[in-house]
Amino acid sequence: MQVAGKQAPNGDDSVGEGDPVFVARGLSKVYGSGEARVVALADIDLDIHAGEFLVLLGPSGSGKSTLLNILGGLDAPTSGSARWRDHELTGAGDAELTLYRREHVGFVFQFYNLIPSLTVRENVELVAQIADDPMSADDALGLVELTHRLDHFPAQLSGGEQQRVAVARAIVKRPDILLCDEPTGALDADTGRMVLAAIDKVNRDLGTTTVVITHNSAIAGMAHRVLRLSGGHIAGEDRNATRLPPGEIAW
Amino acid sequence: MVRAFGIRLRGVDVLDLKLVRDLWAMLPQVATIALLIASGISVLVMSGSNYLALLQAMDDHYRNERFADAFASLKRAPLTLAERLRGIDGIGVVEPRISHRVRVIRADSEQSIAGRVLSIPARGQPQLNRLKLVSGRWIDPLHRDEVIINAAYAQARHVRPGDAIDVVLNGRMQAFRVAGIALSPEFVFATRSALPLPDDRNFVVLWAGREAVESAFDMTGAFNDAAMTLAPGARMEDVLGQVDDLLRPYGGIGAYGRAEQASHRFLEDELDEQRTMSVIMPAVFFGIAAFLLNVVLGRLVQAQREQIASLRALGYPTLPIAVHYFKLVTVIALLGGVAGLVLGWWFASVVIESYRPFFRFPVLEARMEPWIMIVAVAASVMVANVAAAGAVYRISRLPPAEALHPHAPGGPAALLRVGRHVGTLMPLRHLMGLRSIFGRPVRTALTIVGISLAVPLVLFGLFWFDAIAHMLDVSFNRIERGDGIVAFAAPVPRRALHELEAVPGVLFAEGQRSVAVRLVAGNRSYRTGLLGIAADAELRVQRDSDLNAIAVPASGVMMSRPLAERLGLAIGDEVRIEVMEGKRPVLLLPVERLSDDILGFTVTMEIGALNRAMREGPVVNSAALKIDAAREADVWRAIRRMPMVEASSSKAQWLGLFNDTIAGMLVVGAVILVGFGLTIAVGVVYNSARVALQERAWELASLRILGFTRGEAAGLLLGELAFCVAVAIPLGLALGHWLITLILSVRIGESFQIPAVISPPSYAWAALAVIFAALASALIVRRRVDALDLVAVLKTRD
Ligand SMILES: Nc1ncnc2c1ncn2[C@@H]1O[C@H](COP(=O)(O)OP(=O)(O)O)[C@@H](O)[C@H]1O
Ligand SMILES: [Mg+2]
Repeated sequence: MQVAGKQAPNGDDSVGEGDPVFVARGLSKVYGSGEARVVALADIDLDIHAGEFLVLLGPSGSGKSTLLNILGGLDAPTSGSARWRDHELTGAGDAELTLYRREHVGFVFQFYNLIPSLTVRENVELVAQIADDPMSADDALGLVELTHRLDHFPAQLSGGEQQRVAVARAIVKRPDILLCDEPTGALDADTGRMVLAAIDKVNRDLGTTTVVITHNSAIAGMAHRVLRLSGGHIAGEDRNATRLPPGEIAW
Repeated sequence: MVRAFGIRLRGVDVLDLKLVRDLWAMLPQVATIALLIASGISVLVMSGSNYLALLQAMDDHYRNERFADAFASLKRAPLTLAERLRGIDGIGVVEPRISHRVRVIRADSEQSIAGRVLSIPARGQPQLNRLKLVSGRWIDPLHRDEVIINAAYAQARHVRPGDAIDVVLNGRMQAFRVAGIALSPEFVFATRSALPLPDDRNFVVLWAGREAVESAFDMTGAFNDAAMTLAPGARMEDVLGQVDDLLRPYGGIGAYGRAEQASHRFLEDELDEQRTMSVIMPAVFFGIAAFLLNVVLGRLVQAQREQIASLRALGYPTLPIAVHYFKLVTVIALLGGVAGLVLGWWFASVVIESYRPFFRFPVLEARMEPWIMIVAVAASVMVANVAAAGAVYRISRLPPAEALHPHAPGGPAALLRVGRHVGTLMPLRHLMGLRSIFGRPVRTALTIVGISLAVPLVLFGLFWFDAIAHMLDVSFNRIERGDGIVAFAAPVPRRALHELEAVPGVLFAEGQRSVAVRLVAGNRSYRTGLLGIAADAELRVQRDSDLNAIAVPASGVMMSRPLAERLGLAIGDEVRIEVMEGKRPVLLLPVERLSDDILGFTVTMEIGALNRAMREGPVVNSAALKIDAAREADVWRAIRRMPMVEASSSKAQWLGLFNDTIAGMLVVGAVILVGFGLTIAVGVVYNSARVALQERAWELASLRILGFTRGEAAGLLLGELAFCVAVAIPLGLALGHWLITLILSVRIGESFQIPAVISPPSYAWAALAVIFAALASALIVRRRVDALDLVAVLKTRD
């Protein structure tokens, strides 16, 4: 099933070619009506290719999270269509979207969203238990370089450690796509780099298609491609000739 | 100072806005909590107003119709003796009259109908025990064949003024005409037997003009019964003693006060019971409601701790915040209090209806006193505020920073390690549930106890059916083993039983001898019937509490346990038995055995010993019959025509009566109690689930985002509730059994010795009812989990 994620680790050259795995056309999201009407996304067209590392850049309120949530099957657009491989995301029911998230998507959020009553290892194991072909929780934690304090509860960890647990939890099921919404937003520079390194490693080693939201333009250097959002529109697109290793990112 | 005041003033306004919004947002929770309060209030209002209604009805009737204070029966005395009675110091009014047992014959009744005739002045009301005419008119002095009859019988037999009524007076049939129908303070509760059931169809009271009664019983210028009032300040015992002295030569058989008058005694017992119940039941309900409020409100306030902490972090003084929560619960309590008043008033009017067949009053209306309303509302506000106080106090002591701290896992670390090593063996979301259950043991325990409290109420409602079934079984299958009883007009030789056995369909007749007695032990006394039966009697078998048969002792008496308790007697003690018939011997006999009857108070002794004590031959005056079921109707019709028979009653008739009078009352009570039980179950389960949902929405949404289905997410919450319900039910059933036993032990009415018998189906139904309430709550919560807004959850930190 999860073929895309298990392609050979991708060299930079091969990415961005062939059929896109994500195709969005004319995506719009409108909140409210009349006076209170807010256009969060306006007529977005977007293709994402297998193994691609995409960064969504833009000021607060530009529609980044809305777009990511639609891609992740958490939200539905007001109009337009979004498709992941042969999964039509627009118009899908809750059960279908749940299955899509369960089988294909890994999420990382700004505030970690770990389950407080489960330990580090258990938080990761929780997702492994409902995946078809997960790696072991310890391997996933190894990938984000967390090898100790695995029996601690989230409240006993630092923010950076918690976020690395969240990354491990997102990748333990070998997702086809990893969606990160401001994963370093609540972290300082050093811990932020560690988290980015973990995400970068997953993308490089496992070939997982990765979308990262940030409003820190320096992070954009890590990406194959950078989309700039503004007022719900795609304001620009850049392709990096070379990807910056996370360690070299200026904060 | 001024600034702080300013903040406070402005703060109150904003908080009041929050109050309205909070109430609105928590509407279902507010409603369920208010219903809990309403349950407690309604019971208070219902028992209080019913007690007052009975008391008021009794007082009014007694005053308006001048119910006598004391009574005396004698064989015969000239009317001039009444003057001497009046002369006794301490006596007010004396009403001499003639009273006799009679029989009424009706073509449409298989059994003969027992009656009592009482003489009245032909030209207007007697001075005491006046009649309250409900229809018709007073008897006409020129028509000696006119009578007034009691309303209960008239209603049961559809007799109207102008109808004919055939009465056997002193062995001679005489045709009377009904002039009027009346109520009497002497017969508020009227029955011919010792059983605590009105038998309106088969017992009639006839008031006839003095001349008619005089001639029928050869009592011209004489009386055999007197009703008296006491002068203010007179001592009952002194007066009764003097009356006894005066009447003894005329065959006086002991004067007695209201306390021993049959109708009044039953009424007093009922009032006693109402008084006890109007304290116990509301206390139980309020106890339960207060506890639940504490749990529910505590959680409600707890759930807002972050809001409170933010307010305090912003510099809000604690007091207005605390006041805000007190206002919140006060509004809820007032809603509940008012609903409880309305509900209680309605229950009271329904329940008062069920008294009507038992107690015949001119006016019996549910009463709502202002003070009941004030007590009820004040009680609800107080209970609610006390319940909220603990939670508010805890919150106000919380340092703001701590309350704002996000989602630290609660509970002792040791408990959080619950199942650490089983993580790979069981789905981790189950482990989350386990940790939530055992990580906060106090909260879990409170929820469990709260739910379990619903069970006893449901059980208490259903239990009555079991108790009644058991009482009927014991009384009519185990103790009375015959199919009916025949009472003779006078004692007859034993061989007369053969006459009964000769009736086709009668399989077996067992003779009994019963005499009216007054039991005296120390300064306590009790008027009842003493029953003589054979040691090997088959149709009447006394039982102990385990239902084992106990034979009557060869000497001494056997007494039902509650009667012995009432008289302060134990086995081996001597009881003074003043026989009020025949040669009126006074016996001093030991209490040899105690029996556990359920209906009525009985004293039994060996029939031969009783005959000897009565200084009479082997005579009987009643008989228990075993009858061929197929010919029962013919049997009764034949027996009714026998001259020696005064009255008869069949077991089938009793059972029918029992069902008619008691069943309605039971259903009303059961519906109310089961309703309360369900209210509590829904209130607790729903509120627990809502608060849990509120606290864990974030966690559940996280699970959903990770790809868990709606069912799996809801299962986490509902699994916890299911656990609590599963533990709560057995606990509640045990609690129910205990509470019922406790409540019954406090009841001390003569009417019923209600057994604490609860059948397995009742347990099952009580459990099912609570499960049903839990399921309904679960369904609502499940729908809320389904509707969780995943995106919105991501925007908040926790
Ligand atoms: N539930 C909502 N109701 C109304 N407006 C919303 C809602 N969610 C988001 N928006 C609006 O949509 C726009 C895009 O939001 P979002 O995608 O979260 O932006 P970003 O992630 O780029 O900061 C914002 O203007 C925001 O105010
Ligand atoms: Mg955002």
